[in-house]
Amino acid sequence: MESLLKSTRRIQSACWLVRLRWAAIAVLGMATFFASRLLDITLPYRKLYIITGVLFFYNFILYDYIKQLTWKGQKPKESKISGMILFQISTDLFILTSILHFSGGIENPFFLFFVFHMIIASILCSKLQSYIQATLAIFLFGSLVILERFGILWHYELKGFAAHGLYNNPKFIFGTLFVFAGTLYLVVYMTTSIIGQLREQQDSFEEANKMLEEKDMVKNEYVLRLTHDIKGHLAAIESCINIVKNEMIGPLNEKQKDMIGRAYRRTGKCMSFITALLKLTKMNLAGKLEEELFELNQIIANAVTVVQNRATQKSITILSDIGKDVYRVYGEPVLIEETLTNILFNAIRYTPGGGRISLTLREQGAEYVVRVRDTGIGIPPGQEEQIFEEFYRASNARKVERDGTGLGLSFAKQAIEKHGGKIWAQNNPDGGATFSFSLPKAQT
Amino acid sequence: MEKAKVLIIDDDPDITEAMRVVLENKDYIVNNAEGIEQAMGFLKENKPDVIILDVMMDTPQDGFILSRQLKQDVNLKDIPILMLTSVKDKIGIDFESVAGDETWLPVDAYMQKPVKPDVLLEKIAGLLKKP
Repeated sequence: MESLLKSTRRIQSACWLVRLRWAAIAVLGMATFFASRLLDITLPYRKLYIITGVLFFYNFILYDYIKQLTWKGQKPKESKISGMILFQISTDLFILTSILHFSGGIENPFFLFFVFHMIIASILCSKLQSYIQATLAIFLFGSLVILERFGILWHYELKGFAAHGLYNNPKFIFGTLFVFAGTLYLVVYMTTSIIGQLREQQDSFEEANKMLEEKDMVKNEYVLRLTHDIKGHLAAIESCINIVKNEMIGPLNEKQKDMIGRAYRRTGKCMSFITALLKLTKMNLAGKLEEELFELNQIIANAVTVVQNRATQKSITILSDIGKDVYRVYGEPVLIEETLTNILFNAIRYTPGGGRISLTLREQGAEYVVRVRDTGIGIPPGQEEQIFEEFYRASNARKVERDGTGLGLSFAKQAIEKHGGKIWAQNNPDGGATFSFSLPKAQT
Repeated sequence: MEKAKVLIIDDDPDITEAMRVVLENKDYIVNNAEGIEQAMGFLKENKPDVIILDVMMDTPQDGFILSRQLKQDVNLKDIPILMLTSVKDKIGIDFESVAGDETWLPVDAYMQKPVKPDVLLEKIAGLLKKP
């Protein structure tokens, strides 16, 4: 997991270099154009434009290469990407040196741009590699300056900009190269130190995050065991009470019936709470979904069938408008059905008798959106997000039903988010609330 | 001897009913209220001999607020209060040490849920004996 994260970050770095180079190419092209047209400086412009063209071509090949490396979610080896980054930086040093050669050598102050390369190297490479890059830059630029001084390489004059002859002055050359080398090594030293500290921090954050995840896992396993044990006892209690309540071992008087009935109902409520907690925890613990392709329309129809009885008992009408198109989704149909059933049961519970619940399914960009709109008590303002938290119950919901689990919506939220979707709730302007969730379309 | 009157203030009907059965069995007269307002309404007209008060109703503070309200009322402050609680585990208050503290939790006795019938009867009898 961690190395995967790092390799993704390396690819992003490689892409960043390519993007930076697009910008550099644009700047080089414009600077050349600017110098030729406005500054009246004489330079071998054709050669500079050719370098710009070559650079453009080179960058395009790199861009294509990275795309191929990551084609269809492939994860290339980290060493491969690191090698490519090193290659890019070294090549850039060489290209900058040749640009400088054609634009005045040591007389062109753009040699300061080597500093940028050093910063980039220090961020993306190891300490040693960064110092090697600095040495390479000093070697390349130093060779250029010295070869031009001794006439082995042609010196292109920056006519109209710098005093001509500087390239020939040994003191100037020595001084400039000395400061140049010192600057590059110092930049590398400072940047790598800062980056080192940042990396350490990041590593410790990642470590802490991992530990938190592990702790959460332990907590979930603990809850799972606990609820499982409680459920066993509860089931036994329920069975025993049931026998007495149904007068299978002798008749009961009215008072006895009343008391045992209360006990039975409360056991049932406890049972549904434990069952909800068990489901939620199991889902939390299950790492990956067991995905299959399924039809959302069918799941919606199933959920409506499950809740229909209870709606009819309260004379609540459920209007379902799911269209005729078949909408397919990847995921675990059981979880989605459970989610929708939870939302629908809530809508029925908190909608007064005679009310209406309308359910719609719509296509919206790359997702499908399911909406459940009721004419119920609505959500107290400001609690629209809290109601999805574990054990949280809206203040007005408590008044309607004293013993809700406070887990139904957290289950829904986690199930939908595991599918890459979103869930949210709003109050309707004319009363009642609308619960919506979205699911990404299946790629076919 | 006249039958003693008990007022149960609890919003859980099942707990209320379970206590009612136990108490009525021992010839107490039992009334109940589901919240602060209903209780105060009842107390305007009636004066029970003992009050059983659930500490946590709509909000975790309801029982505390009501117990202080009762002890500040000249007509009601003599009625002993038995506080009923299941919150020790949830909010971490040790009731044994604070029950009876006049400013903090001015109640005369306290009892943990679940209610054991013999403990309930014993506590109520104890409170009624006090002058």
